[in-house]
Amino acid sequence: MSRVYRLIVTDTSPLITLAVANELEVLLRPGLAIEIPDAVYFEATRVRTAPGASRIGAWINDHSDLVRIVPTETGIDQQRRLEEGRPIRGMGEQAAIEALDIFLTKNAEGQALLLFEDSDILKRRAVVDERVSLISTGDFLRELQTAHLIQSAEHILDEAARSGRNVEKQREAADDAEAREALRRQLRAGQSDEPGIQG
Amino acid sequence: MTREDKETLIRQYAAGDITWHALRERGFDNYVEVLSGLGELGLKYPVAPMAGPNVEARQRGIALLRQSLHHQAKP
Repeated sequence: MSRVYRLIVTDTSPLITLAVANELEVLLRPGLAIEIPDAVYFEATRVRTAPGASRIGAWINDHSDLVRIVPTETGIDQQRRLEEGRPIRGMGEQAAIEALDIFLTKNAEGQALLLFEDSDILKRRAVVDERVSLISTGDFLRELQTAHLIQSAEHILDEAARSGRNVEKQREAADDAEAREALRRQLRAGQSDEPGIQG
Repeated sequence: MTREDKETLIRQYAAGDITWHALRERGFDNYVEVLSGLGELGLKYPVAPMAGPNVEARQRGIALLRQSLHHQAKP
């Protein structure tokens, strides 16, 4: 493939589902560079004691050659809102739109594959740009199953729900300052170790 | 939101009647809460049927994923 390809994670739910099931590695199977908008990363990891959150941070650090957190204006606004005690709900999605725009502006011939949560993908407005494709977490896992790269998509999704029950018990509100510092560390690491643009 | 309200919403979500986006608007703060609710109620993660306004974009996505996996499998 000579074009530039990106897998853009549009929301926290696919990340959390795979993290809680301890299956984040499956995102790397297609060999595509992965972009996680900063606001999505922050939303997914701000509950610092949840096993899913720590796994996401560790996974990104372990694969900094392929996985990158994308700084966005929305992410900056998200931090400002937090400092002012205002809600930040849903800003990840807005940041994903910005990350997609950045990618397509820099790569006119680029192809973006947007990873969505299953329930949300049905209710989105129709995507008409041929450079943009969608995939749900369920579609993604089913294709890996068909390619014999995982044993069972259903098992992973069931495991996420089963583990989620235990994870929630350990849930504790994150200390915002610490979570912001973790985001800064991730962004600094991303800037010093930019992944290749080759798909 | 009461525990009963939460259960009702999680059941609607598992049935594909409402979205994660809608759950967030109704007070769910983190997707872990949703997974937890599914686990506690013994419900399945809702996998989207191939329907809705984005079937074409999803089919492109599946084709792109297959192409990538095929490319990866080459020696």
